[in-house]
Amino acid sequence: MCVAALVVTALTVGPDPAVAAPVPAVDPMFRVSGGGRLAVDGGLLLGLPAALGTGLSTGVGAGISSGDRFAWGARVSWSTATESSLLWTVTQADLRLRATAAIQQRAGRGQFALRLGLGPTIVHESRLRNQGQRAGLTGSDLETSAWVPLPAADLEGVVALHVAGPWLLLLSGGPALAIVDGGARWGWTAQLGAGWQP
Amino acid sequence: MRRARAITLVPPLVALAALAALGGCGDRLQGFGGPPTPLVSFQVLVSGDLASVRKPAGDTSPTSLQVALVWGAQWLTEPFCVLPAENPDASAVIAAGCRDPFAFTPLRVAADVPIEIGVPATLSLFDLPAADVMVGDITARVAYGAMVVYDDRDGSGTLEVAMPHRTRSGFDEPGQFDGGDSPDIVYGASFVTMTAPDQRVVFREGAFYDTGFYPRSGCPHPRPGFSVVHAGGFSGDAALMNPGSLPPEDPASCTADGESDPIINVALQPPASVEEVSCVQRRDDSSVRYREPPPDMPELTSGGRVHACAHLPTFDAPTQGGLIQLVVSGRSSDRCKGLTHYTLRGCRENVSCPVPDWDFTATPPAWWPCDQ
Repeated sequence: MCVAALVVTALTVGPDPAVAAPVPAVDPMFRVSGGGRLAVDGGLLLGLPAALGTGLSTGVGAGISSGDRFAWGARVSWSTATESSLLWTVTQADLRLRATAAIQQRAGRGQFALRLGLGPTIVHESRLRNQGQRAGLTGSDLETSAWVPLPAADLEGVVALHVAGPWLLLLSGGPALAIVDGGARWGWTAQLGAGWQP
Repeated sequence: MRRARAITLVPPLVALAALAALGGCGDRLQGFGGPPTPLVSFQVLVSGDLASVRKPAGDTSPTSLQVALVWGAQWLTEPFCVLPAENPDASAVIAAGCRDPFAFTPLRVAADVPIEIGVPATLSLFDLPAADVMVGDITARVAYGAMVVYDDRDGSGTLEVAMPHRTRSGFDEPGQFDGGDSPDIVYGASFVTMTAPDQRVVFREGAFYDTGFYPRSGCPHPRPGFSVVHAGGFSGDAALMNPGSLPPEDPASCTADGESDPIINVALQPPASVEEVSCVQRRDDSSVRYREPPPDMPELTSGGRVHACAHLPTFDAPTQGGLIQLVVSGRSSDRCKGLTHYTLRGCRENVSCPVPDWDFTATPPAWWPCDQ
């Protein structure tokens, strides 16, 4: 009974087409310009750590690309993850350097792309022995660090929306692969950010 | 133009490829893996002739000697054991059932490693002592431990601590009576009693204040963190004669390790003189639980038990309402000394309760040996 009343109310209280407001003109502020070959973007990045095995790596990323339907470019991102076990607190910072190739298609204000990135992920690992400071450990007994470059690749889907002038809102993400200790390790990355395409 | 742009992309791509090819070079990521770093390691050396102290005497069966780090508990003996004995029977019970009031009392076994006589062994700790084995607050607390050498007779790989065995009481449910001790045999310890030379493991956090927790007078304070300290012990008689003050140690016997860890020496001893270091206590605050006498007679003499009738001990008045207790020692074969106290009237937690849980003062059990 109540549901029926709600449906009837919704149907009768709907907007009257005769008095509907006209479609507003595009605000000059949101008028799109640019759309050239060059695009630069940056934003916040989330992903699985390349080698840690658990946790969520958070950081920032940026990239540049050039091209029309096919685009080339380069990307760099940095993110960290810190996790603990009974014995260790491990922090791994992943510096991803990628050469990218993308195939992209514009659709209205939007732009869709599939982007492949190849390059090293340089991992800086810092391990702190839990309870070590209380026990009086020092030096390498207390903390160790290592730099290790890993071969890696990303495949990302990219959605870009021209918001205003040359500015874009970008969302990207997809699977990531790193070779750790001779074995493949799968993960994912995602980025939300802003772009500039003059 | 397009070809020129492609050519300019080649150097950075080659550089990226070279970096990628470096994967696996240089350092290695360990994550949560790899061998754990010990928080501290101690060197322990056992000396002596095991055959001469074997239990039972002449036993030639293979031994599995191990050394365990045992953190100590804060423990106070009960008044009956330190006040003057009321009669010869009470003296016999004190001798048979009371621990050394200055003895090291275990709380928890922290780590074990196999050891051979005359060969130093390394015992590593991977965890700090928990808060419950440290005395003090987070700004100033300390834990003391002893290295205990034992024959791991049950092959468990760790020292099984034991408890004193009491006799039956009126509250016991069927099957509640405790069982036997583990077969582990203790042959030595680096810290047996405060009245003998000892080498104790210390973990200190924050400041250090003199307390009643295995106190030492006349020795420097242990340094923060882990350390091993040594002292010659004080006179137990002097300590009992002057309650409230602690006889000083000989300063010459006080040593503390420096940056390098010294070897902790443990001499093999007859188990009877050292096995109390593996005996945890049911009560650690000198309080006594008085029990309801069972309807039928408990073990009073078997297995080397001795018993005595005595007034309830008190530091203030000579007697406590005239109530007599029956005190029974443990068996001579028990690993741990202990006493069982019976009264004809009382409550589970307070013998002087106004409304007793049991009261047999008018009609004592037929076996009750004391005059009421």
